[in-house]
Amino acid sequence: MGSVLTVDGITKFYGRIRALNNVSFEVPQGSVFGILGPNGSGKTTLLSIVLDVLKSNNGNFLWFGHPGSPEQRKKIGSLLETPNFYHYLSAVDNLKVTQSISGRGTREDIDQVLKKVKLYERRKSRFKTYSLGMKQRLAIAASLLGDPKVLVLDEPTNGLDPVGIAEIRELIVGLKKSGHTIIMASHLLDEVEKVCTHVAILKTGDVITTGDVNEVLQDEDVIEVSAADLSALAHALQPLSDQVSINNVSNTVQLSLPKGTAKLDQINKLCFDKGIVLNHLLLKKKRLEARFFELTNS
Amino acid sequence: MSSLLKTEWLKIKKYPAFWWMTGIVALAYPGMNYAIYENGYKDTLNDKTMGPILRMLPNPFTFPDVWQTVAFISSFFIFIPSIVVIMFITNEYTFKTHRQNIIDGWSRKNFMISKMIDVAIISLLATVLYFVTALIIGSSNSTNTSGNFWEGSQYVGLFFLQIFSQLSIALLIALLTRRAFIALGIFIFYFFPSEPILVQLGKRFANDAGEFLPLEISDRLIPRPRFMVRHEADWKALVAQSDIHIVYTILLLGLTWGICFWINSKRDL
Repeated sequence: MGSVLTVDGITKFYGRIRALNNVSFEVPQGSVFGILGPNGSGKTTLLSIVLDVLKSNNGNFLWFGHPGSPEQRKKIGSLLETPNFYHYLSAVDNLKVTQSISGRGTREDIDQVLKKVKLYERRKSRFKTYSLGMKQRLAIAASLLGDPKVLVLDEPTNGLDPVGIAEIRELIVGLKKSGHTIIMASHLLDEVEKVCTHVAILKTGDVITTGDVNEVLQDEDVIEVSAADLSALAHALQPLSDQVSINNVSNTVQLSLPKGTAKLDQINKLCFDKGIVLNHLLLKKKRLEARFFELTNS
Repeated sequence: MSSLLKTEWLKIKKYPAFWWMTGIVALAYPGMNYAIYENGYKDTLNDKTMGPILRMLPNPFTFPDVWQTVAFISSFFIFIPSIVVIMFITNEYTFKTHRQNIIDGWSRKNFMISKMIDVAIISLLATVLYFVTALIIGSSNSTNTSGNFWEGSQYVGLFFLQIFSQLSIALLIALLTRRAFIALGIFIFYFFPSEPILVQLGKRFANDAGEFLPLEISDRLIPRPRFMVRHEADWKALVAQSDIHIVYTILLLGLTWGICFWINSKRDL
């Protein structure tokens, strides 16, 4: 599977402030690639550089193995930072401008994408009359115009209500299923966890980790077990790990093991051999939120 | 190029300020020319010192002189289309659509060419309005136009060159400041009164060095009509300057757009 985007050693300064420091990663074709990081970590700066809005001080990037060019950008549907449209034009007229510049889509496609983001009824209203959520929907519609195979979405759920967020999530999942590659910057970890296959986590301009989302999230195996006597269960599990704890809220015992070493059948057998019958046994994936805080606070 | 033109037309044709500007210019050009004809020219005919001289000259509001007269008077109103040029480019920065144009697949050079197209469209429209005004005024005042109708019509081209040059400077200021009110303030304050004062100071103290100021370079493409100049020799000197100022204006245009393209290619959007 080839790379859609290769970022190699990109560094960017705003005056003396270093916004990005030697950032490198690859976005595999067909992936949903999440770029995560707290505010000011450099997510939008990075996407602005690969879309030629900002100039990097060092490093380079390749789209489909070639240096970035206007012709390549025409094939990429992009939403960068905020919905940027002509305030005096309607949704349809704004998308005509997008279509005229990018060459993506037809007049019928404009109606289709407006229906997809539920803006069709207001298609003739001027952009300046839209709510924040409607503006965001129009930006998503513009990025979807002509069904580009690669999408760059910077905070795509900004300003959307919970229903809108769920719709965008479904849209992204649907696009992934149909073979699209999506590069998505977000600080909504729950969203990223639900849709992303790969992530890069940025902190003050540095990539602190990148890779398959399961590998990034799961730095250790956490096993949750339960039985009638939690104290006896915890005692029985002591030989397996020095990190065994009782959670009185969930009435479980948790033990941590090095990543990839947990064998649930052996744990079950060990307990049974010691006369403890388990009523709950689960290998837990660490929540992205917890992992994110671990990484960005360290 | 046709794709850029099509895109810019999509942006312009529904921009209310563009049509307001067109309407105001369409009223201002004939209105100002009529006012000068009635109050500037006809009144001077009755002046005891200038009147007898003017009666010996052809009426400046008849063909062929009307081309120059109307061009000169209309050029005072370049600040009206300059407002639209400034608003149009600063809007791109205010609403970040300049970024979106690049993201959607234009090169930075495409973006700058598209702005040049905007300036050309607005200059062309103002020139058409000037042309129609001169045509109507000339036709209504001239008794026989068959022989000398097109004589002096080179001022149509010179008017376009003047307005294109001065609107290009307005665009450069807008590109540098990115803020509508700052750009408008700087351009209009420079258009009037700063540069006219500097030109007069240049005439008095610096061997007329003011002729090389950015707006004055193209102002001198269209000399004052004869009836506005007391001495024949002074008027002939003004007319003689016009040709070399075509060269200066073209050089200034090259410099202005060179700076615009360079800035746009280098800076973050």
